[in-house]
Amino acid sequence: MPSHPLRVAVVCSSNQNRSMEAHNILSKRGFDVRSFGTGSHVKLPGPAPDKPNVYDFKTTYEQMYNDLVRKDKELYTQNGILHMLDRNKRIKSKPERFQSCKDKFDLVITCEERVYDQVLEDLNSREQETLQPVHVINVDIQDNHEEATLGAFLICELCQCIQHTDDMENEIDELLQEFEDKSNRPFLHTVCFY
Amino acid sequence: MDFEEEEEETQPPQVIDMTTSEKVVDLLNQAALIPTDEKLAVLKQVQELIINKDPSLLDNFLDEMIAFQTDKSIEVRKFVIGFIEEACKRDNELLLRLIANLNMLLRDESVNVVKKAILTLTQLYKVTLQWLVRSKAVSDMQEACWDMVTQMKGDVLALLDSENDGVRTHAIKFTESLIITLSPRTSDSDVPKRQEGDISLDKVPKDHLYIRYDTLCEEGKTALEKLLKFMVHPAISSINLTTALGSLATIARQRPMFMSEVVQAYETLHANLPPTLAKSQVSSVRKNLKLHLVAVLKHPCSLEFQGQISTLLLDLGMPQSEITRSTPAPREQRKRPRHEPYTEGKKIKIEPALIEDDEDKEEPAPITAPKPPAAPVAQSAIDLTAEFLHPLLTSENVANLVLISMVYLPDVMPASFQATYTPVESAGTDAQIKHLARLMATQMTAAGIGPGLEQCKAREDEAGKEDGTGEDSGGKDLLIKRKLPAVMVGQAISVVGGYAEKPTTDAPAAAVKRLPEPILPSAQTKIAGASGRKKVFRLADVIQPLSDTQTENLTSKAVNRILHSEKAIAQSGMSHVRVKLLSRLVTQFEGMMKGDVLEFILDDIRTRSDLAFSLLYQEYNTYLSQLPAGLLDSYDHCLYTLLSGLQEKPEQRDGLFTKLVLEAPIITESALDVIRRYCEDESRVYLGMTTLKELIIKRPSRQFQYLHVLLDLSSHEKEKVRTTALAFLKRMYEKDQLRDYIEKFALNYMQLLVHPNPPSLLFGADKDTEVAAPWTEETVRQCLFLYLSLLPLNHRLVHELASVYTEAIADIKRSVLRAIEQPIRGMGMNSPELLLLVENCPKGAETLVTRCLHILTDKVPPSPELVERVRDLYHKRVPDVRFLIPVINGLEKNEVIQALPKLIKLNPIVVKEVFNRLLGTQHGEGASSVSPLTPGDLLIALHNIDSTKCDMKSIIKATNLCFGEKNVYTSEVLAVVMQQLMEQSPLPMLLMRTVIQSLTMYPRLGGFVMNILSRLIVKQVWKYPKVWEGFVKCCQRTKPQSYSVLLQLPPAQLTSVFERCPEMREPLLQHVHSFTPHQQAHIPASIMAVLEANKKPEPKPVEPVPEKEATTEPIPSPPATEARPTSASEPELQVEQSAIIKDEDEPMEPEQPVPGNLEESVNSVLQEDSTREPDTPSPQPEPCDEPMEEFQPEASDHHEPGKDDEAEPTGPEAGSGSEDAE
Repeated sequence: MPSHPLRVAVVCSSNQNRSMEAHNILSKRGFDVRSFGTGSHVKLPGPAPDKPNVYDFKTTYEQMYNDLVRKDKELYTQNGILHMLDRNKRIKSKPERFQSCKDKFDLVITCEERVYDQVLEDLNSREQETLQPVHVINVDIQDNHEEATLGAFLICELCQCIQHTDDMENEIDELLQEFEDKSNRPFLHTVCFY
Repeated sequence: MDFEEEEEETQPPQVIDMTTSEKVVDLLNQAALIPTDEKLAVLKQVQELIINKDPSLLDNFLDEMIAFQTDKSIEVRKFVIGFIEEACKRDNELLLRLIANLNMLLRDESVNVVKKAILTLTQLYKVTLQWLVRSKAVSDMQEACWDMVTQMKGDVLALLDSENDGVRTHAIKFTESLIITLSPRTSDSDVPKRQEGDISLDKVPKDHLYIRYDTLCEEGKTALEKLLKFMVHPAISSINLTTALGSLATIARQRPMFMSEVVQAYETLHANLPPTLAKSQVSSVRKNLKLHLVAVLKHPCSLEFQGQISTLLLDLGMPQSEITRSTPAPREQRKRPRHEPYTEGKKIKIEPALIEDDEDKEEPAPITAPKPPAAPVAQSAIDLTAEFLHPLLTSENVANLVLISMVYLPDVMPASFQATYTPVESAGTDAQIKHLARLMATQMTAAGIGPGLEQCKAREDEAGKEDGTGEDSGGKDLLIKRKLPAVMVGQAISVVGGYAEKPTTDAPAAAVKRLPEPILPSAQTKIAGASGRKKVFRLADVIQPLSDTQTENLTSKAVNRILHSEKAIAQSGMSHVRVKLLSRLVTQFEGMMKGDVLEFILDDIRTRSDLAFSLLYQEYNTYLSQLPAGLLDSYDHCLYTLLSGLQEKPEQRDGLFTKLVLEAPIITESALDVIRRYCEDESRVYLGMTTLKELIIKRPSRQFQYLHVLLDLSSHEKEKVRTTALAFLKRMYEKDQLRDYIEKFALNYMQLLVHPNPPSLLFGADKDTEVAAPWTEETVRQCLFLYLSLLPLNHRLVHELASVYTEAIADIKRSVLRAIEQPIRGMGMNSPELLLLVENCPKGAETLVTRCLHILTDKVPPSPELVERVRDLYHKRVPDVRFLIPVINGLEKNEVIQALPKLIKLNPIVVKEVFNRLLGTQHGEGASSVSPLTPGDLLIALHNIDSTKCDMKSIIKATNLCFGEKNVYTSEVLAVVMQQLMEQSPLPMLLMRTVIQSLTMYPRLGGFVMNILSRLIVKQVWKYPKVWEGFVKCCQRTKPQSYSVLLQLPPAQLTSVFERCPEMREPLLQHVHSFTPHQQAHIPASIMAVLEANKKPEPKPVEPVPEKEATTEPIPSPPATEARPTSASEPELQVEQSAIIKDEDEPMEPEQPVPGNLEESVNSVLQEDSTREPDTPSPQPEPCDEPMEEFQPEASDHHEPGKDDEAEPTGPEAGSGSEDAE
């Protein structure tokens, strides 16, 4: 077991649903966790698929919440968006963009391949300094509430297992293989360096 | 900065007025006592304070901080590493002090600490190099510091082979940084802003004292080679691979000079993904590869490689448009247009993971690369082969290749294939054929075959020949070339075989014919297939070392199983194997196993003796094999345990003990102890000693050691042990080679007797009572047992005894004398050595010699030789008469008579013995010796002793002794004696005493005595006053018989008689009156006158004549008349006997004050003698109790009566006489 708690980042594209669901659960389990999005903007479903609500990363969940209440409280209550935002604002004030965060993590978990690619690109484009490794793992999660919840539990389990390894770096490979078999989904995994 | 603020926030109140230094002290004090989490926080504060806030304090508190490097917490140790890094960066000088600490932490037991240390070294390597390069001063310290850094660098590089994935990852990153540092930065290098100030090879002066530019350059290249080699390891983990890919990209961008190698490596990797990767890992790796390829592609220097890179990217699924977008500097882009058409040329996955293993196969490519002309050469090798293949890829050839390859397809589609497969859209087009040719060329080049490669090598060789410096690399290549085939043949046969060989042999020919279909690489599929992920099995991964106790436990259990499967194995007839196995096992592994086995053997030694022997020999073997240094301990223990076990077993008759002893290769000290103990066991002493004897005889090299044990036992306290040992020794004494040793031992042992106290040796080693224990009979004997048993075998030894004897103290002498009887008797009086001893008789050994003589002559008459020696000794050297006693019967008569005066002066007991010898009345009575003197002679001799030589008292006692022997001195003997004495002239003084005594003993001698008396008258006895006195006395006692004798006296003498005894006159007168007148007439008147002197003297003088007749008358017939008068007068004599005896003393012994009690004294003497004899069984010892010299001067008259009973040597006159004197 690593001597210090894992510093975990959970990343999806908008830092709303999947990453926040996982953030919620992981922080309840006592992890040192943060969540991010990688998109250039925060997008929430709108009244139609081609009309999303788009915010920038400076907008607080509270503001979004209020905005959506104002726009169509019933719709957003029904599709769970308001509920989600309500939860999110209790976790932190506003979404964060991964690329803007210079803090260091031990483990970055992404929720879809595109996000994984973006995280990798970002990390690799940074200038290396300490050469501290960071493991990046992609767990594909569809962007809906149910999958987000399931995915969050999977992520949580994964994190717990990793946290409990004696020597994370030495065992993570094997661990992921086991998880792949168990969950029957592939994990992308790589290591980057700060 | 953040930190400082925080800190002020956290502890504002108390810190305010503290100096920084005080604060640091305070914090450090805290840190020592608090739990890890807080400790870290506190330490971070300290670090901030002493590094950033007030660096002047750094030096002061360095030691305190570094002390935490031994903290239990990993995090704290990691913190210390971080601190080292920060401190060194702040003050480079500190490197000198801290680098060793880092080195220590680099070997920490926790991988996390090690990883952190690697990271820090990555930084500090650059820092150190920079600092040293800049520093002008030269110091040993710095050089040493650099040496250490260099060594650490090597250590970390070696960690590329670490067991731990994470450590390897860190090592890769270190290598990356190292390569960049140790290569020159060029104008086209990408330089990250942060690293602008970093050192690189171009900043290293070429004339530095100890940092060698060339060396560094070489090290950098070596590191790259290492990294490349590492990357192609078939079992590389996906994380390591990813890391390495990233590192290569970084290297390529920052050091474009290596771009060729990097691209080459990417190409190779792409075609040969490690078979151990799982499906998702393949995706991850490919994603990474793509990412890094793009990064490389974006570098301006990628121009030359754009073709390869974009091909790769296409294969990886990147759209051409994107590739184009990432491609810089469009100017030269079309340099290699022939790759362009393959834009969509995704001919499936060629990606032949060819040879699944071994870095070796990769080498041709990388190796050609590093040379200055490397890139073009490498390219051309593949290019050439591709060009060569291109025309050969006819449909027919390709179809054939496909068919052939089908055989090698795996059952399951490999993950990497599945992941990357895209349908071939442009099959059969020229572009696709070219692509195919190139793919094949890559594989072939990688496998070390193909015309392109050969050409390249030929070219290179030439270059090497031309270029002087190229020799080295040429040699290198040759080496590798040689190496390759072996590896290929050995490892690739099943895998590559079909593929690799075809193109080389058949392909050129076959390929001409047909156009290619894409070749499905057969081999790689098989390997990558099977399961999605597969790890190379490494034994080390799945086993854990057992703990010592576990190992021991398992070992002993295993041995026990073998041990106890005795019966089962015996039934299978493999007992000998078991025995051998056990003995080997036990000897190889120390410990309790051995004890168990020995115990097992001892449980039933009879049936397990073969195991015992085997074990023993094995132990010995082990000892031999370690020889000069080896110890016998183990063997010794084994032998000892076995023997002790046997020794302690209550009974065993089968001689196993003997067998073990005799067959053991070496008898150790402790084993010998056991043998000794065995011999000490009374019930086994014979067997034990037989064994010992065998040892002595059959092991000549150490026979004395064994012999010594036996010798030791010869003085053992148990008699049985001792006697057995002595018996064995006697037999061995006959062997020449042992003789000396035994003899020496015996003599040494005897020599101990000269010590005033018995040496501790005699009490055995365990009883150390050296002090003050007096000699006892026991201890003395102990010293003599062996010697005395040897003595009869070697008479010469007797002289040694004599010399020891003279030195020994009196107690010992006594014991010795008692002990020697048997052996001396055994030697016999004819022993020349014994005779020699007698002849020499060392001073001080007289008693010994005497004792020997006594022993020798006790039962046997002395031999003439012996007598001769003794006589000689007596006359010439030691005139002690006692020497003569034992041989007295061998002496001449006159010698005895000569010696008599001295002899009778000795202790009465001795005198008695002498007489016994002379008279043949020894109680032993074995062989009666022939005495030189008859009893009569003896008595006569006594009478004739010159009174000047001997006092009368002794003579009287001596005669009394004779009279005591009634059996010898019969009346006849006495009669003869008296007869002879009477005939002597002058008459012996004691004549009448003897006569009276004889008469007392034998009253019937009365007649004979009368005869004697008459004849004495003839001899005018009155001339000898003493005798005359006795005569009168005798007459007085023998009256009335003596009347006739008296009447024969001349008147004057008769008067004298009457004067002495007036009461005689009247009876005599009466007697005469009773005569017939005729008879009376014969009485001379003068006589009558005397008779009647007082009354009427007249009638007497009438008949002197008849008196004369009468006196002559009896003379002729003394023997005849002897009987008659005796028998007649016997009654009276008997009645009067006591009175006579009482009176007789008076005249005879005037010196005696109390004359009246002779009878009592005589009786008491007799009684004494008779009672004393049983009390003193053998008179021999006594005279020897003290050396003769001591009592000789004492031979005086005065002795206390009490001593007479003792064995004390006394003067010659002891006895009743002196008793009476009191």
